[in-house]
Amino acid sequence: MATREVISTGNELAAIAAVDAGCTFFGGYPLTPSSEVMHVISDLLPAKGGASIQMEDEIAGICCVIGAAMSGTRALTATSGPGMSLKAENLGLAQMAEVPLVCINVMRGGPSTGLPTRVSQGDIKQASNPSHGDYRSITLCAGNLAECYTETVRAFNLADRFMQPVIVLLDETLGHMHGKADIPTVEDVEAGIVPRKRFDGPADEYFPYECEATEPATLNPMFEGYRYHYTGLHHDKNGFPTEEIETCRKLIQRLEDKVMAHQDEIELNEEFMCDDLTGEEGEVLIIAYGSVSLAAKEAIKHLRDDGIKAGLFRPITIWPSPANKIKEMTDKIKNVLVVELNIRQYTDEIERASGRLDIEGLYKVNGRAISPYEIVNKVKEVF
Amino acid sequence: MAVMVAPENTPVWVNTDRCKACDVCVDACPAGVLSMQQEPTSTLGAMISVIAPESCIGCNECELSCPDFAIHVADKKEFKFAKLSDESKARQEAIANNGYRLPEDYKGSN
Amino acid sequence: MAFNYDQYLRTEKMPTLWCWGCGDGVILKAFIRAVDKLGINKDDMCVVSGIGCSGRFSSYIDFNTVHTTHGRTIAYATGIKLANPDKHVVCVAGDGDALAIGGNHTIHGCRRNIDLTMIVINNFIYGLTNSQTSPTTPRGMWTVTQKAGNIDPTFNACNLAIAAGASFVGRETVNAPRKLEKLIVQAIEHKGFSFVEVNSNCHINLGRKNKMNSAMANLDWIDSITMPKKKYDTLSEEEKMNYLPTGILKQDKDADEYCDMYKEIQKVHQKERAKITQDDFEKKI
Repeated sequence: MATREVISTGNELAAIAAVDAGCTFFGGYPLTPSSEVMHVISDLLPAKGGASIQMEDEIAGICCVIGAAMSGTRALTATSGPGMSLKAENLGLAQMAEVPLVCINVMRGGPSTGLPTRVSQGDIKQASNPSHGDYRSITLCAGNLAECYTETVRAFNLADRFMQPVIVLLDETLGHMHGKADIPTVEDVEAGIVPRKRFDGPADEYFPYECEATEPATLNPMFEGYRYHYTGLHHDKNGFPTEEIETCRKLIQRLEDKVMAHQDEIELNEEFMCDDLTGEEGEVLIIAYGSVSLAAKEAIKHLRDDGIKAGLFRPITIWPSPANKIKEMTDKIKNVLVVELNIRQYTDEIERASGRLDIEGLYKVNGRAISPYEIVNKVKEVF
Repeated sequence: MAVMVAPENTPVWVNTDRCKACDVCVDACPAGVLSMQQEPTSTLGAMISVIAPESCIGCNECELSCPDFAIHVADKKEFKFAKLSDESKARQEAIANNGYRLPEDYKGSN
Repeated sequence: MAFNYDQYLRTEKMPTLWCWGCGDGVILKAFIRAVDKLGINKDDMCVVSGIGCSGRFSSYIDFNTVHTTHGRTIAYATGIKLANPDKHVVCVAGDGDALAIGGNHTIHGCRRNIDLTMIVINNFIYGLTNSQTSPTTPRGMWTVTQKAGNIDPTFNACNLAIAAGASFVGRETVNAPRKLEKLIVQAIEHKGFSFVEVNSNCHINLGRKNKMNSAMANLDWIDSITMPKKKYDTLSEEEKMNYLPTGILKQDKDADEYCDMYKEIQKVHQKERAKITQDDFEKKI
């Protein structure tokens, strides 16, 4: 695949990626450190006949995006932790009504107002279920500048494939990082666009929410002769509210199964210097994601120079978690260190997937990055 | 205008599948054309009935005030409606004062 | 021959879930008649409703319909409209949905003057959830959250809409379905944010414990607190306090509509015109 070299920031790359991937609508609200996504896209979209609007609050920001997506467009919003909290209820409606959209969360220090201009990875658990009720999240996490672009593109395709919101996590470090990135060409991105499914038969044979038990709804764009109803209530095959016992059970189960039955289409990981990890005494597995993985890779090079065989497992799709892969690797390697800019949020998932309670962790929650040096020292301290 | 075919020679007709017996149309009618009647199988135990169609003046108040799309009035171009008479007004008053039901012993002429 | 409402209804969903005599159905009927009069194609319209009894409006009508979260009708509709500016988008919400939780979105929908029609069904109570106080429930009435008597002051929704910048503001009641139909026609025809308050009866939740036990009694009360604007304007300030004027209360046909203005933004970015500056506007602040 051909690539092009650009110099940009993570936030800007995410905005460019959305437009290249066919996004024609942005709605949002300023929130540090995500605002630059809106600043950039507010110029890109109208140039191409699309629309970008700054709404009156975070909730209006997600609602107008859901509305646009319901009408048939690829739509984007960008925010940070406090905005995700505000958007929770409506993300739930998009999930329930199977509306595809991409929601970028540039993570900052939390909880609450936290540290607006500083980094954290504190929204990992929130991303697994931002709403109330059962919500099987698809959440991606960019681990370098180029992924701020490629993961946003992948998010749009996943959103249309699975007909639900897809959350793309950048942490503030990556959002504001300014550097070189090799990204796909626009032609390759456009060739790779897989739009949502459409029903082309007669309107009276169209039932948007009647589908196989492990497949998403087929929601035709508005205004094209296929009239149906969107609601956040439990609904039947036409989208009308219902409380019928079997219909309700099947609907919620399908929202779960449509993702979990196709995890192979969603899972994406990176294994860095893991090829020679065979399970011998002294080997170390580091698990990290986002900007922390950059420090981890540097630390691994230093550890190997010091004679410690270390490797990095980096989930790129955070949710659903790569539980089977985690189990496989943590079964093999005794010394496991999770490094994250929060307190144990993904460690809890690693423990669940691995069945182990002896996972070590390096956690930092003061808005500062974790340096390779700190990771090297931690490994030497605990193993 | 979205139109439907009207039943022949009928000024006003009702859909008892949709009527919830709210009394609003009976209250709105100036001419005593409508009355509730006992209907044990319905939720409120009552159902709309057109008791004096020949008195209907075609004012359309019943149709416009019905929240349930349960009553329809023919088009003035297709049906010759009556004029409002004193008997009609008297009957309407009797109906309105009797819980929107024509009194059983009502002796006024229809 | 008679008006064929079924052409616009999702007939398999009838009868509606609204209580017997509820004004919501009268408003739905007037809306259908208005759309028919305007000759709008069913595929060119989207109806967005909120949560509450009025929120069920959208499920009965055969257009592109959306039932949103509580209070967010206008926010969803703004996205639908801005992404499809040549289509008709109508919002329907109750007094709680539009004025309490949705107050902020109502204010900004008016301010933006985006071409939506917002029908606020004001029945002076939270109906679906059984009689809680709404921002328009008269003081002193019984509500389930203020059984000792409501102490919350009310505000006037139309005054709010006018102050916030809506370019078309009107009010009607379910007692006057012909006038209501006409007002809805004018509201939809108007290019800009059209705010229409419709006073409706909730005799089951407001009326029952406030001496208005029947639809008719509740409707008579609405009659007693509303009057046409022309007559209202002749009242003293003291008298005005107890009446809501009906009819068109404001219409500005020259106000800039948001989607039109956004087309200018697109032209700027497509190099078809110079940037927009303060000189493009009469109102400089």
